[in-house]
Amino acid sequence: MNAAGASLLSALGLCLVSALAGATAPRRVRPLLAGLGTACAGAAAAAAGVAALAGQSWSAWLPGVLPLAGARLALDPLGGMFVAVTGAVAVCAAVYGIGYAKHGVDGRVTQATLPLFLGAMLLVPVAASVSTLLVAWELMAVTSLLLVLAEHARRPAVAEAGLWYAVMTHLGFAAIVAGMAGFAAGAAGESFEQLRAATLSPAVRDAVFVATLAGFASKAGIVPLHVWLARAHPEAPSPVSALMSAAMVNMGVYGIVRVGLDLLRGGPSWWWLVVLAMGALSALFGILQAAVASDLKRLLGYSTTENMGLVLIGVGAAGFFASCGDKELAGLALVAALLHVVNHAGFKTLLFLAAGSVLRATGTRDLDALGGLRGRMPYTTALFAVGALAASALPPGNGFVSEWLLLQSLIHALPTSGVAGAVTMPPAVGVIALSAGLAIATFVKAFGVGFLARARTPAAGRAAESPPTMICGMALAAACCVALALAPAAVLPALSHLVAVLLPGHEAVGGVVTLRLADVQGTMSPLLIAAALAVAAALLLGSVRLVARRARRPARLWDCGAGPMTPRMEYTATSFAEPLQRVFDNVLAPESDLAVTPTKESAYLVESIHYRARIPDRIERRLYDPVLAAAASIGRGATRLANGSIHRYLAYGFYALTGVLLVLAVVW
Amino acid sequence: MSDSVYMPLLDLACGAFLLAGVLVLWRRDLAAIVRLFALQGAALAALVIVLAAHEGSAGLAAAGVAVGGLRAGLLPHLMRRALVAGGEGQESRPLVNVATSLLVAAVLAMVAYDASQPLVRLTPTPATQAVPVALTVLLVGFFVLVTRRRALSQVVGFLLMDNAITATAFLTAGGVPLVVELGVSLDVLLAVLVLQVLTLRMRAAFGGTDLDELRELRD
Amino acid sequence: MTGLVGAVAQVVVVAVGSPLLVGLMRKIRARLEGRVGAGVLQTWRDLRKLCRKEAISPHGTGWVFRMAPLVLAGTALVVASVVPLVTTQSPMDGVADLFAVAALLALGSVALALGGLDTGTAFGGMGASREVTLLALVEPTILLSVFALSVRVGSTNLGEIVTAAVHDPMAVISPVSLLAAVALGVVTIAETGRIPVDNPSTHLELTMIHEAMVLEYAGPDLALIEWASGMRLFVLLGLLAGLFAPWGIATAGAGPVAVVLALVVLVFKVAVLGAGLAAGEVFMAKLRLFRIPELLAGSFMLALLAVAASYFLA
Repeated sequence: MNAAGASLLSALGLCLVSALAGATAPRRVRPLLAGLGTACAGAAAAAAGVAALAGQSWSAWLPGVLPLAGARLALDPLGGMFVAVTGAVAVCAAVYGIGYAKHGVDGRVTQATLPLFLGAMLLVPVAASVSTLLVAWELMAVTSLLLVLAEHARRPAVAEAGLWYAVMTHLGFAAIVAGMAGFAAGAAGESFEQLRAATLSPAVRDAVFVATLAGFASKAGIVPLHVWLARAHPEAPSPVSALMSAAMVNMGVYGIVRVGLDLLRGGPSWWWLVVLAMGALSALFGILQAAVASDLKRLLGYSTTENMGLVLIGVGAAGFFASCGDKELAGLALVAALLHVVNHAGFKTLLFLAAGSVLRATGTRDLDALGGLRGRMPYTTALFAVGALAASALPPGNGFVSEWLLLQSLIHALPTSGVAGAVTMPPAVGVIALSAGLAIATFVKAFGVGFLARARTPAAGRAAESPPTMICGMALAAACCVALALAPAAVLPALSHLVAVLLPGHEAVGGVVTLRLADVQGTMSPLLIAAALAVAAALLLGSVRLVARRARRPARLWDCGAGPMTPRMEYTATSFAEPLQRVFDNVLAPESDLAVTPTKESAYLVESIHYRARIPDRIERRLYDPVLAAAASIGRGATRLANGSIHRYLAYGFYALTGVLLVLAVVW
Repeated sequence: MSDSVYMPLLDLACGAFLLAGVLVLWRRDLAAIVRLFALQGAALAALVIVLAAHEGSAGLAAAGVAVGGLRAGLLPHLMRRALVAGGEGQESRPLVNVATSLLVAAVLAMVAYDASQPLVRLTPTPATQAVPVALTVLLVGFFVLVTRRRALSQVVGFLLMDNAITATAFLTAGGVPLVVELGVSLDVLLAVLVLQVLTLRMRAAFGGTDLDELRELRD
Repeated sequence: MTGLVGAVAQVVVVAVGSPLLVGLMRKIRARLEGRVGAGVLQTWRDLRKLCRKEAISPHGTGWVFRMAPLVLAGTALVVASVVPLVTTQSPMDGVADLFAVAALLALGSVALALGGLDTGTAFGGMGASREVTLLALVEPTILLSVFALSVRVGSTNLGEIVTAAVHDPMAVISPVSLLAAVALGVVTIAETGRIPVDNPSTHLELTMIHEAMVLEYAGPDLALIEWASGMRLFVLLGLLAGLFAPWGIATAGAGPVAVVLALVVLVFKVAVLGAGLAAGEVFMAKLRLFRIPELLAGSFMLALLAVAASYFLA
């Protein structure tokens, strides 16, 4: 057994040990033991993933673990990348979780489930047969559901979010089961090697791809299957939110890449245009909802939908180029998509953990009630700023690098991809640009309104900085972001190599300080941008010091001479997003109701005015509410069948059994 | 005319033709819309004259001059007179708001490009490659017809479609025979005159030309 | 070597010339409005005076407020050093990518918006909110124009785009170029806060965008912001001129004479564009904030048509 296999197995073992510790240790040391164990497991997994990316492969067949087929595990570069990302996210979240656990999530169930959740997430990308994949997938779904429900006793919204999540994840699971089972039935067996070697009819291939796409896209939070994400991610405890939003959603992307590009070896261009269209829709819709959200964690959840949308634009473009025969461009697009997965994992971990810090310190996620944290929580503020810079895809953040690569792959599409490419790529670039612009607005709002200026409520005014373990967890994530931003060349060769294996071709991106695209013209140097900015700012600071004659002095804010300004006069998150909401009024369809209560004496004198505005998720309104209403009415109709008589219920069973037997007798 | 001069000039004329067409969606000021229409007529004339110069055909050049005279001179003049007589200077609330109509125009351009590919592939000359431009203007004209309320905007929408059809004819086949072109142009002129009379009557009867108000006649 | 000299020369020209450009535009505007107006050098005198005053830290503001002017001016300086105004041979080739330049300009705007939010006044918040709204809506136009310009060259590197344009001057009057030029022109107006998007000389709070964000700044901070705004205007006008009228820019292998000539041509081109902009502003009123999306949707459509035209008429 090589290093990759050894560290993967030790990671899985450490997950079990930490789960045991979480279940049995006394409450006082429970978070510490479970957290340290999970962090070690994450580190071992990251090491395994890095080793796999570096070229070590490992596989195992454990016949006794699962009935009938046994468990089949294999670590290849593609799986290794997702294992490494998951491990790294887990390290940050687990270290952070040690300090966060005192915030009411140090119960046995939660502490024991978290390591199991990590273990399940590590198993998904290394599963090498259909049954192993499905078992790992379901384990991941169930453990994450338990974690989402951790705070159900405190807030009723948690139970509702859990219900949505449970239903959506199981519908997705059903789709994946159907697709993969059909695939395995068409192939001679169920291990991935047999699936790769299988020759299926085009109709079966289409059905397999569409079914698995639906299932995996629902895990990735892709519109219109995203409704659970914006509920479950905010309601979960923050370290769990980070794991779900930065690691678990990636598994959806993994599934699409694995099935579509690896097992099915690519397909007709319409598959990938569908993927691209879903990605574009998610990117726009997600970021638009994030831009007008005022709940910090809900905002981050919608931003996850956006980023997964961007990733799917890259994956879709890669598949599309490959189907047009342009392997080089396909490689570039896929590298961009995978790099964005890595970058998103980095900054989304950081942002969710920082949001958790704010929640712990102030007890609220509502941006309208925050503000002024800069002075009281300096580290959290600075770390959130790093994450926000990355999430808004501005240099020198890491999000910029992957979006740049993605744009480069799309704009070079013209010569080869014919009419379909010519019609698709310009709108795709427009979508990426608009979502980048709206992401800037979103994160200026989140950072500027949430952390700067003055506290809008007493709770925000009493906030205190988080304990060192939490800051340490966030700082780890921030360090990853900074490293990815300044030296993407540290991961790009590995990703290029992995893509070159997946889509046979040569490596798409090279260069150390300056990134150079191999097959199309394009160079960009994130390090140089950062250095130039730093030098320019230092030069300016020096010259301002030189020319300025007088010292800086504190002063009153300009209050138009009307006395000191109160926090109630500050712009809130809602007012900040109002222009955007008006511009996109047709898309968002905000709802508002106004109730004016007149005084008893006269109808013309107003006693009170009650105004309420909300921006519902329009897709949920239009798509899910009718379905739910129909299901509810069917359910009401069916209550007539159940009148409470036990004999009647037993009779139903009897009729059904005999009916089936009769049908079988007639048909056969 | 050599290719190195012909191609950019042709492209330029097509670009101006397209631009004038889509900018009609942008402006609310009816006088500006008429100006844009005149500009488009001029671009169409320039397009025909460039084609004529390329093929060295005097008949085509004459057709170009005639097209220019009618579409950049006479028709805008008639519309301006209607405008002065009417005194309604603004397109009030189009059915689809301006920003969305502009995005729709962009989508229509893509559709037109996609749809006209078989035609372009038939004879891939520089002139036929500009057919998507004409098709885009046709769709935009139709869209104007569907979404604008004022009678004058409707006339402009109708004329945009006619310009587009003329442009397609010249780009694909080097123009329809002169007689047919003259006949069509006369038809258009007649249609505009009839619409102008109708507009005046409408205004006399209802005091406005908001077409939605016509719905009340049915009840 | 000429690359380095040219880059330094263009930074100096931008740094020194941008207040003069603003002064020139104000002068032209005043003359057209029938006033005498202050001299062209007045902007420099204002900056000198501001530097002698004290900077202010209003109560309740922090490091974000103090750093915003530095970041804004820093991004403007970096952009000024990489954009091919004088020479296409920028020594910082890795930054001279159109996407990177657009993102750097956006970073400057974001810094200022955060500075405005950090004050916690309604004006600061209002200005920041409007600024980022416009920024979000401008972004698609910029990137699609970049796309349109890069199709012919096959690269988004500014140096390569301008070099290709210098070598093939006829291509500049193609519909692709013209549509992209109009789109980028609208973007330039929006990014630099000129009429009809924003009014740089307004003092009516309800219509302010840029001015609302900088309301709390004073002394050297304000000087830095004013200077940086001027630099952004200069660079964007110079970039517009360079992309669509690239004559005179020193390309690879040009000697020192070419660099000097390029400097003169640059100053001339920017002065002409600035004068045109100022003259145009006299005849226009500022648009309502919620009419601006129409303008930007129009420019987006032009940019999309520019991309489409690059294959329609290919």
